Amino acid sequence: MTGTLIETEDRREYKATRRRDLAVDLSMALATILAALAIGFVVMLVTGNDPVEAYGAMLTGPLERSFRVGRWLEDATTLTLLGLSVAIPFRARQISLGAESQLYAGALAAAAVAIFLPLPPVVAVVVPLVASAVAGAGMGLIPGSMKARLGANEIVATLMLNAIVVRVYDYLVNGPLKEPGSSAVHSKSIQQDSALTPLRDWFGIPLGRANVGLLLMVLTAVALWLLITRTPLGYRIRMTGSNPEFAEYGGIRVPRVIEWSFVIGGAVAGLAGAHLVQGVYGRLEPGLAGSLAFEGIVVALLARNNPLVVVVAGLFYSYLRAGGDIMEQQTDVGTEIVVVIQAVIVLLVTAQALPDLLKRRLARKQVAAR
Amino acid sequence: MSAVLDVVLSSAFLAAVLRVSTPYLLAAFGGLVAERAGVSNIALEGQMLSAACTGALVAGYSGSVARGALCGVGVATLLGLLLAALRLELGADVIIAGIGLNLLASGGTAYAVFTLLDDKGGTSGLKSGSLPAVPLPGIESIPVLGDALSGQNLVTWLALLTAPVIAWLFYRARFGFHLRAVGEMPDAAASVGIPVRRVQYTGLALSGALAGLAGVFLSMGYVSFFVRDMTAGRGFIALAAVFLGGLRPWGVFLAALGFGTAEALAVQLGTLDVPPQLVSTIPYAMTLVALAVYAWRRTRQTGGEVAAAA
Repeated sequence: MTGTLIETEDRREYKATRRRDLAVDLSMALATILAALAIGFVVMLVTGNDPVEAYGAMLTGPLERSFRVGRWLEDATTLTLLGLSVAIPFRARQISLGAESQLYAGALAAAAVAIFLPLPPVVAVVVPLVASAVAGAGMGLIPGSMKARLGANEIVATLMLNAIVVRVYDYLVNGPLKEPGSSAVHSKSIQQDSALTPLRDWFGIPLGRANVGLLLMVLTAVALWLLITRTPLGYRIRMTGSNPEFAEYGGIRVPRVIEWSFVIGGAVAGLAGAHLVQGVYGRLEPGLAGSLAFEGIVVALLARNNPLVVVVAGLFYSYLRAGGDIMEQQTDVGTEIVVVIQAVIVLLVTAQALPDLLKRRLARKQVAAR
Repeated sequence: MSAVLDVVLSSAFLAAVLRVSTPYLLAAFGGLVAERAGVSNIALEGQMLSAACTGALVAGYSGSVARGALCGVGVATLLGLLLAALRLELGADVIIAGIGLNLLASGGTAYAVFTLLDDKGGTSGLKSGSLPAVPLPGIESIPVLGDALSGQNLVTWLALLTAPVIAWLFYRARFGFHLRAVGEMPDAAASVGIPVRRVQYTGLALSGALAGLAGVFLSMGYVSFFVRDMTAGRGFIALAAVFLGGLRPWGVFLAALGFGTAEALAVQLGTLDVPPQLVSTIPYAMTLVALAVYAWRRTRQTGGEVAAAA
């Protein structure tokens, strides 16, 4: 009986530690964001703008009208999917910068099916989504196996793939897939049945281009969270990330795990591409993703690669983006200040020794005070 | 096909290759120095962008091209030092810190230009001028080559000079030995009395300065104004050239020149019936294959040990 007593005590202690860690993580994230906003405040002040007015517009703007809420949610869907897509390889300590290539491959696959393949309703939505995930996964497999089987640097491999796929995409949109007879550069529109249902059909209020992709995104996040925390593969990914040699020693086939992390991440980034095609634009546009792929990395970092937290971070980050645009319309402050704030967040998050440094200084002060 | 050959063999094309390659060469050498010092410089892109913007703005407002160029290179150098400080003092992941600096440069330059000039696109409204071309006496009399070389920008000459200088630095100078030792095995280097940190700081500063020169060339040589995000991924390509060149000065030189040639070719072929986007993928595909082959040979050499853990 004493064994069970010790067990319960151990469990209680473990749970207390988990709670404490979570509290520390959350307060760190909050402190990081506040510090970044404070730096943005100073930058605006120094450059002769009114930071109070600007932040007012930025932080209340996105909620003022329903279609602005829609813009925010639509942007958050894509961004969070991209954040999730890099969070998985990051968990296996693989620096995959390939979300861009995976997104464009996914967008192409989704568009190819949704434009050219006549399918019955419902199936017409699902098949392009699956196609995009497969295409994205394939695009993740290339750098994944190069890293896992040959030890090729995954950063360079993913960057090169990005460069290739972006150019091929550009060629296809300007050439073979360009809508004939149209003066603007874009593909034909997808079939009606393939579109992701816009949310305004459900809620009856104008929500811009926000669509059921939002739900899909949340489901993906939950699925990935379950994968990471509750399945053997998730365990292997975490082990590989925290100590590859120990994982290998413990009988985990590290190369295969690395490949899987790239494939899963690729599939999710492919879905982000499908969301842009089937939910947002309804066709292929040049430069579909903008700088979103790299900003997905920021979201994953801010969330410390925890899939559920990625959703929160993605929503927050998109809120800043949406707010930035409104701020620019209402005040004279450029929306680019948002990018500066984001950059500061990244730098603060990665400066791991910073909290320790602060703590040590505080401790020293306390000692001096005594 | 003959039309393609005509284009490729013209002296105008050779001149274009040199012009297009200049930023790649400089940034790639910047990446090489950092890589050899043991700190990957992903921030090349942001350093180039900041230098391009600073150069154009300072030159435009002060009226002095030289001052603009110096300030541009100076800002990029500071960013290199900042990256080193983040890595060495604050324990940051150097890749993520690099991504952060790139974001900072992208947002910061656009914000600065918008705040100062009320222009979203760039500094085309500001007259900033460009760095001078340097005619070499006598060189124009050489057939074909003379036309290509004459009238090249000062920075292009500097870029071409960088290769032998870096090779000399790496293999003939005391600092180069220290740099390579630090990058190879910092503990061993420290044990024989090499000041590891100082060497890394110096290396990253040099790396930033080279990337800065590349950026200054973009806004004050290639064209004479700054355009938002005008580096357009050149920093990343330069990084690929570093690896494709096998981390050796002359290898990197050839790789960067190869990327420049492919881009110039893509521009030239745009007038013919070949899709320029597809032509411009060639160097990246080549890099990808080379990366795989290089890694495969290395795994073979180490006796099939799984290198995935690295």
